[in-house]
Amino acid sequence: MTPVTTFPDWQGRPVDEVLKRCAELLEDERYPSVARWREAGGKVAGHFQVYFPEEIAHAAGMLPFKVRGGPVEAMQADSRFGSYLCSIVKTSLELALSRRVVLDLFVTHPICDAARNLGAVWGRNFPYPCEILYLPQNANSAHAAAYLRDEYDRLRRTVERVAGRAVTDDDLRRSIAVFNENRALLRELYALKRETPWLVRADEAYVLVAVGGLIPREEHNALLRTVLPLLRARPAKRLDKVRVVFEGGFCEQPPLDLLRAIGRSCDVVDDDLLIGLRWILEDVPLGGDPLAALAHAYLEHSSYSPVQHDLRKPKEEMLLRRFRASGAQAAIVTAAKMCEPGLEEQVAYARALEGAGVPFFVSEFEENMTSFEQLEVQLETFVENLLFE
Amino acid sequence: MAYAAGVDVGSTQTKAVIVDERGTIVARALTMTGAHVTRAAEEAFAEALRAGDLEEEEVEYVVGTGYGRYKVTFGNTQVTEISCHGRGAVHMFPRTRTVVDMGGQDTKAIRVLPTGEIQDFCMNDKCAAGTGRFLGAAARALDIPLEALGATALRGEKAVRISTTCTVFAESEVLGWLGRGKKIEDVLLGVHESIAGRSAGLARRVGIEEEVTFTGGVALNVAMIATLSRALGVVVNVSEDSHYMGALGAALFALDHVLAARTPVRQPA
Amino acid sequence: MRQAAGTTGIVGRGNDDGARLFRQWFHELAEAAEANRPAAYVFVMGSLGELMRTFDLPVVFPEINSLQTAVRRVAHEYLNEAEDYGYSPDICGYVKADVATQLRGGQLPMGRIPKPSIAVYTNACNTYIKWAEIWERMYKIPTFTLDVPGTRAEGGQTWPGNPDFERDRRYVEAQLRELIPVLAKVSGVPFDVDRLREAMGHANVLGHAWKRVLELNGSRPSVFNALTDGTIYLGVANGFRGASEGAAYFTDLVEEMEYKSAHGIGTLTDERSRLLFVGVPCYPIFRRFSEMFTELGGTFVGSTYLHFASGGANLGYEYDLARPIESLAEGVLIGVRDAMDNMFHQTPVLLKMIDTLAADGVVYHPIKSCRTVSTGLADSRRALLAARDVPSLFIESDMMDRRVVSEAQLKNRIDAFFEGLASRRAQAASRLTAQGD
Repeated sequence: MTPVTTFPDWQGRPVDEVLKRCAELLEDERYPSVARWREAGGKVAGHFQVYFPEEIAHAAGMLPFKVRGGPVEAMQADSRFGSYLCSIVKTSLELALSRRVVLDLFVTHPICDAARNLGAVWGRNFPYPCEILYLPQNANSAHAAAYLRDEYDRLRRTVERVAGRAVTDDDLRRSIAVFNENRALLRELYALKRETPWLVRADEAYVLVAVGGLIPREEHNALLRTVLPLLRARPAKRLDKVRVVFEGGFCEQPPLDLLRAIGRSCDVVDDDLLIGLRWILEDVPLGGDPLAALAHAYLEHSSYSPVQHDLRKPKEEMLLRRFRASGAQAAIVTAAKMCEPGLEEQVAYARALEGAGVPFFVSEFEENMTSFEQLEVQLETFVENLLFE
Repeated sequence: MAYAAGVDVGSTQTKAVIVDERGTIVARALTMTGAHVTRAAEEAFAEALRAGDLEEEEVEYVVGTGYGRYKVTFGNTQVTEISCHGRGAVHMFPRTRTVVDMGGQDTKAIRVLPTGEIQDFCMNDKCAAGTGRFLGAAARALDIPLEALGATALRGEKAVRISTTCTVFAESEVLGWLGRGKKIEDVLLGVHESIAGRSAGLARRVGIEEEVTFTGGVALNVAMIATLSRALGVVVNVSEDSHYMGALGAALFALDHVLAARTPVRQPA
Repeated sequence: MRQAAGTTGIVGRGNDDGARLFRQWFHELAEAAEANRPAAYVFVMGSLGELMRTFDLPVVFPEINSLQTAVRRVAHEYLNEAEDYGYSPDICGYVKADVATQLRGGQLPMGRIPKPSIAVYTNACNTYIKWAEIWERMYKIPTFTLDVPGTRAEGGQTWPGNPDFERDRRYVEAQLRELIPVLAKVSGVPFDVDRLREAMGHANVLGHAWKRVLELNGSRPSVFNALTDGTIYLGVANGFRGASEGAAYFTDLVEEMEYKSAHGIGTLTDERSRLLFVGVPCYPIFRRFSEMFTELGGTFVGSTYLHFASGGANLGYEYDLARPIESLAEGVLIGVRDAMDNMFHQTPVLLKMIDTLAADGVVYHPIKSCRTVSTGLADSRRALLAARDVPSLFIESDMMDRRVVSEAQLKNRIDAFFEGLASRRAQAASRLTAQGD
């Protein structure tokens, strides 16, 4: 393929303009960055939520594209599914059925029963390989790492077939280095949110993370390297709003407008939004077997979510840890409508937060909801109560 | 000349149709169903007889359909309104392959074979969004009579997007738009588009194949005909007897029995 | 065998014996609850009954208990209680009914069940995992996730000998070896591999017989109703897997069905339509639901439910008792994977069943509660209709929640489906007569 810059629009612009362009890209249902990649002869590996070892697709020269629903009406996809289902599964399929995004490979994960079904449905509707990457739900087995390494190897073979080239260990190490840098930059962004939240609003930080799923990682690294110092130098007045942790954005994403609404009264100092892009918490070592290193990192140096079972990481304990580590004052505990694991976890979260005396606000959202008046009023009331305590 | 009749007992209205042995409609009648379903069926049938100047004995077979089909006690048998709408639509428009029936209470999408036989169907009878009830809620909110809805909506130029999924909130959403200064015509057009969109979604579940015939009481609404055609991507057939399509289909099933009774049973060779 | 073939007592024996075994099972559970003995909570897709028997652990199947509350018309009480506790209306009804059961100290209409001392489950259903997390918090008990890597893509199933299969099998085996000491600790019973062999031997008999019983429904008329009778057989297949009673029951069942097949004894006076059922039954109106079909001469000759809800026992996989743990891993991998395939990739399964069981139509029944079973059904149906011109019906309700089950709506659709079947038969007949002229 010919070299291409899929998202040049932000280059050389002031920070506010950069953020605006990122938001526009996120909400552009024609997915121009992916289209540019294809036009240049590139292949696209679509991966569903939550976590996918993107390095493996990247090492084959493919663009890993995070499939996570979108601002579209599921006109064709709707007839493929029944009624009681989360929106993200439907809008994700719609993106492909309507050819807004054209893939060469689709991978989903056993995060929940709807996502596993998505692999089967997708495979029936498209001629390219569609498969489930069976990440372990028994993260506590001594054999899990060996199993996962072999599962990554199986994925590598699929990727090689699709990309039409071999993926060597050196290719993988080069890709791991790119993604290590990306994860480090994202950690920096989150440190900024935590320490100086007045410098970057909730929705602004979000778009900076989210565009990573749409563009080559090298471009994302360049964007973040440029923007972070600009944010630090932002002449924003320090305004202390209530510091909150936002939980529930691990799969279906809340609409940007909802994040803007939350951002008006709160500083989101930590969250699980698009946690899959930030799943690995430290650099993956470059020495030795790269697939084994990735597998080890997945199991031993990773975050948490309601869809990853691990006896060492009971979710409510992890949430309390996140709450304390970020210096938050309250928690917003959400779930996407019809999201079974999210809705089930809400009960445990609510009980644990109550037991720990942490103020919290429970809500549901849908990725394409357009009216938040009710939610905003409830949230403002919640915040007011906090301020008066 | 022999006659056959169909009585379609819907939740709000009961329709009766009498056909002659050629399948031509000779009489039709409509009453409100009310609480006494059997009585409503009897009244509709009696009125149809009067309209056709016929005696009860001249009608050789009666088929009941609709949600109250088992209450048509004077009928000879029951057939579901799904089969009846399919049959009736194909009779009216022989190239019908897809039927969209929008009643007051539910909406159906039906795929039919040229024989009128049902190939597949999909119904929305759990939720009022996408049915005539949504229109009723909007009409109430705007204080416009149901009959004027279509013409008013057609004057809309820029339809508003109705996002609510529940009829209960339809009224407040409609009023909300008016409060934001939107014109009644544009709001109404938006309501129609919302219903048409959902009905088209149902149709896509069974697969849209031309020709598409639009039946049911709501098919008499000019704005719905236009918005549904747009949503389906196909111009729909509409008969002025749309309201009676179910009863017509039932009457045709009744006619089958009348004609079968005359034909000697064929012996296998 | 309890009764000699040839006597009229054989017909219906399976249903009677099944009811008796079910009562025996619950009697034992109530005793265990009273005596505060350890018990294992397990699930139908990968219950590892063979292992549980080896450690004398009575098995509790929360899925079966929950569906019983629906059959016995008290599910709504349990669901309301769980929803008051905080669980959403939109999550699995089985989970909620069990939460309420736990809040009631294990009290069910069938009797009292013991608390879990351990929960063992596979990833065949992701809800199993969240469910066990609930018990983990409630009772601070050990829970064990047995990862069973499923089919990666349709048609991509691998088999013994294939390196990918062997890698998956090794993972399952390693986990089973990790599970065994945990079970020994919880039960207080030391591991005896010969007892495991014995239990696996019984499971072999059960599996072979169950496969045969399912095949026998190809008879005309069919010998059991896959929807109603099938639920009884499933109860025994799950509750008595690895037990001698389970092996004996299914041996008897084969005898009964072979007898019925040989003597033309069916389930209806007039079997007019032979149907396949895809999904989970409508337990809140279980009897009425079935009647809406049988009244019109329709019976269910097969169901994917009988496959996945028996954890793949329908395959009749033969464990190799010479290498018990390796073979258990292989059998569990193949069986549980097959259960998943019957939920996500059922079109090839259905196409085969249409032929072997001479089916006239397929009824898809997606349910609100269960995304595992329901999410892909509309699309899967499309695939079936594209591959074969077979009449099918798509009706949605639930297996637990009476609030979303509308008998009138279901009847309307079922009646229309039968009108279509009758019309199709009439068309076919008139074509034949025309040809005959």
